[in-house]
Order: sequence, then structure tokens, then C-alpha cells
Amino acid sequence: MPKPHRQFRTGTRNQKLLTDNTQIPNVMALVKTEKLSKVYNPDTVPVHALRDVSITIEPGEFTSIVGPSGSGKTTLLNMIGGLDKPSSGKVFVNGTDLTGMKDSKLIDFRLRNIGFVFQHYNLIPVFTARENVSFIMLLQKRDKKEMLQRADELLEKVGLGERKDARPKEMSGGQQQRVAVARALASQPKFILADEPTANLDTTAAMNLLDIMSRMNKEQDVTFVFSTHDQRVIDRARRVISMVDGAVDSDERRDGTNGNDANSSNDNKNGNVNGNGQ
Amino acid sequence: MNTLITISWRNIWRHPARSGVMLAAVTIGLWAALLIVAWANGLLQQRMDYMIEREVTHAQVHHPEFLADIFPWHYIPEHDDLSAWLEDHPDVVSHTSRTITEGMLQSPVKTSGVRIRGIDTESETRTTRFHENMVEGEYLDTDMRNAVIISRIMADEHNMRIGNRIVLTFEDMDGELTSGSYFISGFFESASSEFDRRNIFVRSSDLLDLLADYPVYHEIGIMLEDVDLAEAVVSSLNERFEGIHAQTWRELSPELGMIVTLGDVMVVLLTLIFMIALGFGILNTMLMALFERMREIGMLLSIGMSKVRVFGMIMLESTMLTMSGALAGIFLAWLSIMRLGETGISLEMFAEGAAMIGFDYVIYPFMTTGNYITILIIVIVITMLASFYPAVKATHVNPLEAAKDS
Repeated sequence: MPKPHRQFRTGTRNQKLLTDNTQIPNVMALVKTEKLSKVYNPDTVPVHALRDVSITIEPGEFTSIVGPSGSGKTTLLNMIGGLDKPSSGKVFVNGTDLTGMKDSKLIDFRLRNIGFVFQHYNLIPVFTARENVSFIMLLQKRDKKEMLQRADELLEKVGLGERKDARPKEMSGGQQQRVAVARALASQPKFILADEPTANLDTTAAMNLLDIMSRMNKEQDVTFVFSTHDQRVIDRARRVISMVDGAVDSDERRDGTNGNDANSSNDNKNGNVNGNGQ
Repeated sequence: MNTLITISWRNIWRHPARSGVMLAAVTIGLWAALLIVAWANGLLQQRMDYMIEREVTHAQVHHPEFLADIFPWHYIPEHDDLSAWLEDHPDVVSHTSRTITEGMLQSPVKTSGVRIRGIDTESETRTTRFHENMVEGEYLDTDMRNAVIISRIMADEHNMRIGNRIVLTFEDMDGELTSGSYFISGFFESASSEFDRRNIFVRSSDLLDLLADYPVYHEIGIMLEDVDLAEAVVSSLNERFEGIHAQTWRELSPELGMIVTLGDVMVVLLTLIFMIALGFGILNTMLMALFERMREIGMLLSIGMSKVRVFGMIMLESTMLTMSGALAGIFLAWLSIMRLGETGISLEMFAEGAAMIGFDYVIYPFMTTGNYITILIIVIVITMLASFYPAVKATHVNPLEAAKDS
């Protein structure tokens, strides 16, 4: 059996992080943003990439953030993933405020809490599929035997059990992206952020990938948050947050409830868009 | 750490051609640099050995004023006691006594100022290798009466041949000028044309016949078991005997001491120059590798690889790349130096010019273990310095690079 995640095991680390600079506005929310804004070039030609975005994502969601190019969906995803810092507002992941966190702590936080799937797969080209998947567990200092076992299991789950010794250049785009999903799952994150995961895939590969992610979501309750403008992904999402000009335009749940429509935008700006199916 | 080493090593071979060129540059460059250093070492060592074995010896004893004023009456007191002491000393391999004076050499062509060195052929041959400088005719162990050997250069200047007579004029012990006829038995050729123009050799017994009524010796040349024993033996001599001045080869010939220092400095300087040049190559290669992998490094930082590990990965990459080439270069150089150390490197075409400045034209290159260690340290330090900037730059890569569209 895989060793439990360190953070699950003790909680000490979280407690330390929490004592630094955090509040816990909603202990149930997996991700919560509060009036998140991002302005590029504030002193010259300000570009408002995000405007007071407040959303909440609960565990087990399969959410797409959609919108045209420049709408801020990727910026929002980067904020949630702790890859970028907001100009104002806050991001809470599992109750931990990421906005004031130092780079080194953020890196460690990402390692232990967030899985990433990138548009360009971004596998380590000199590693095999198995090494790519186990690498992140190595960074977590897991037991080597357990690490390799889990890597094999995950590759089996994404349908690449036979290709575990292949290097990225020996695999198709779809296969590489499946390895990337396995890698994201390997660290046992709280949720997985996928930035345009199907953008470079043909229909078959894209559908295959979506099947896998959807299965993971349903069977193992893995939370996925996508940024995408791929209709194939949008069609499969159970919640769609639509963004326009850096603000949330609508928040729709496919299970019949409405996360929030537009403004909603006012509510949005007031931090009430939480996708709880109000 | 193992994974970092694995990833770094595989990263190196991501572009086999580029890494191969870099490796070849380091290997061939270091090989060439080491050969030059070894050749220079050999050149300097040869010069030192030559001077010590054929002229200076490990230590010498004189009258305290002799070297400043070369007069016959500045001879070594208690010579026999001193000679017996040296005979019994365990560190002394051999010693020879010389009678030396300044004089004039007259030939039918011209007159030259010379230093007349009276030697005992038997002990001189045991102590120095000066006899190996003979290029024509016979050494002073000939039966010829009042034999003298002069350099070929001087023979040419005076238009003299073997068997010709010359007249030597010098002051005797009483300060009176005295002259004697000597017959040329052979020509020598040392490594220094300057030495050749200034020195002639006769048997000390032949010189003493005209110089003094009793044996006087102005110089004792001493060869020891090891050059490093010179200080101790000289110190003992100066303490034990009064009225003499014993000196080590380094004191007698400061330029030889400089040669040793110069050799060490040259190793460091040549390697530094080469490695600094190479350092820019390493810097360039690593920066290229970094710029090509911005997205990948961004991804590593995104998924949780610490900056320390990213730094270590880049440092390891450049270190492994350079050290692989360096070790190959050092190994190749070691093999070459081993071989050339036996056969020597002949620069016969420069023989004449080399002789003018006191060098032989066959050089036996060598490197000491210390040289290799110094070079390795320089290689490691320069590699670290050259890798530092790309490694630091890698830690500053924005994780967002991973999400960039192109």
C-alpha cells in the first residue's frame, strides 16, 4: 500500500503554514479565491488579467474554466496553482493562504498538494514514462519500492502499462499526456490543475484522456480543474466557469444546479460564487 | 542524489553532438595544455639538472671572498680536513676540488679573458658529468702534457685545432704574472655558449705547477644523495669549518631556484589560462542548454522540485560534462607524457638557438603528482565558477514558463 501523504499523516506542516499568514474562511472549500485581481504593467500600460474573481471549488469537482483567449482563465488557474501571485485578493487551498507564501514554501506546497497537467505535456525527455511518474514521488522522498509500484499502477490505470519504459519522444502526444496525468496523480495531490490538456491532441486521444480523467474523478474522487476552450472538455465538465475580460461571466453546474450565472458578477465580486449549487 | 546524477548525465547526452564537441574541446584542450606544461617542466628540469650535474653541483665550498674576488690567495683553508669530512659524510655521494683563477688566453689570432679551471679528472668524473660535454678530441685524462680543453666556440674564434698550443697568463699566489704553454687536447660544448666563451679546463696539477708552491683549492663541488639534503649539509659545513662559505645550488645559482618556482607558476598559469578560456565555453554551453529548457525547468519548479535541486542539477550537468572531458584529457596526457618522457621530444632544428640560451634540444616532458592535483583543482574550481551563473539563473526561471504556449 502506498504510504500516506506526509501532510495527511501529521498535519504539522499545514499547521505551521496556517500560523504564518492564513485565515480559514471556509474549511470545507478545497480552493477559494477572494476578490482575486491581477494587473500586469501597473505602472505603464495596465492590463487587467483578473478582476475581483471570487470562486470556490469543492473536493471532487470536475470543473472547466472556459473563455476566449485573454479572458484570464489561465491566469486564474496559475493563481490557484500558486504559480503566479495576485496583485490583490487571496487564494486559499485547503485553508492555506498562498498569496503571502514564500517561493520555497510554495514549491513545497505545490509538491504536496497540487498536481499539474500542461498543454505541452512537459515530461522530462530523458526519463522513461515510469521515471517521469515516479520522479515527483522521489521529490516527496517516498520509499523507492513503493514509488515504483505506484508508478506502475498509475501507468496501468492510464492504459500505458506496456509502455512504461518508453521515453516521451517514443510516445504519441496522447500517450505523453496520459503519462502527465499519471504524474500529476502520483503525488496524491488535493486536486489537479490541467491547462488546456487536450489542445494538442486529436479527437481520439483527447476523448481517451478525458475518459481517464473522468473515471479518476468518479471512481477515486480526484478533483480536476481545467482551463480550456476545447468544446470536448467543456462537454464533459460537470461545472463550467466562464470568464470574460478577467471576470467570471457565468458559473454553471451540469448536475442541474447553477453555480452562478453572470453576476452573479456582483455576487462574484462579493465573493459569493462558490459553485456549491446554490 | 542518484536521480539528480541520472537526470544530469542524461541531460548531457540530450544533444550528443553538442556535448561531444564540448567534451572533445575539454579533452583535447587539456591534453594539449598538459603536454605544454610537461614540456616546459622537462625543459626547466633539464636546465636545472644540466647546470647542477655539469657545473653547479648540489653544494659548493669556497673561501668567503672568492666569488666576489677571484684571486688565487682566496683558497679554501683546511682543505684536507674538509675533504675527509665529506668523504665520511653519509649523504655525500662524491665531491671534487677545483683550482680556479682568472687569466688571459693567447693564441696566434687573439687574446681572450678566461676563467681557468683546474680539475682533478678522476674525482670530477665521479662528481659531475662535465666530461660528457666533450665533442672532439680527448678529455683531460689524456697523456698529453699540459693539456687544456676549450670550447668549440672559442676554438673557432681563435682558429685553433686539436694539438695547437696556447699560452695562459695569470697571477700566481704571490701576485706575480706567470705564463705557461698548454696544448689543446679536445673541445667541449656545454649548454651555454656564454659559459663556453668564458671557461677553459686544465688539470689542477698542471695549473698548480705555475700557481702555487703547495696545493690550493678554490672550490669544492659536492653531489648529494638527494638535492633536498643540500640545506642540511651546507649548514653542517658552515658550522663545522671556519674560513669557508658553503652554499647550496639555490644560493649559488639563484636563477636555478627561480626555475623551480617558475615551473610551478607555469603549471598554474597555463592551466588557468586554458581553463578560463574553456570556462566561457562551459558557460555558453550551459546557458544554451538552460535557454532551451526554460519550459522544462519551469515544469520542474511547478511540480515541486526545489530551487536547491534545480541548482544542483545544472551544477552537476556542467561538472560531469567538464570532468568527463578533463579526466579523459588528463588520462591521454598521462599516457603521452609517459611515452614522451622516455623518448623525449626532439627539437633538433632549434638546437643551435637552444644552445645559445643554455638548453638542450631533446626535452623529456614530465608531470609530478602535485602538478596533476593542482590541475584537477583548477579544473574543478573553474568549472564550478563557470556553472554557477547558469545554475543560479535556472533557479530564477519562472514556473509559468511551463504553461507558456510556445
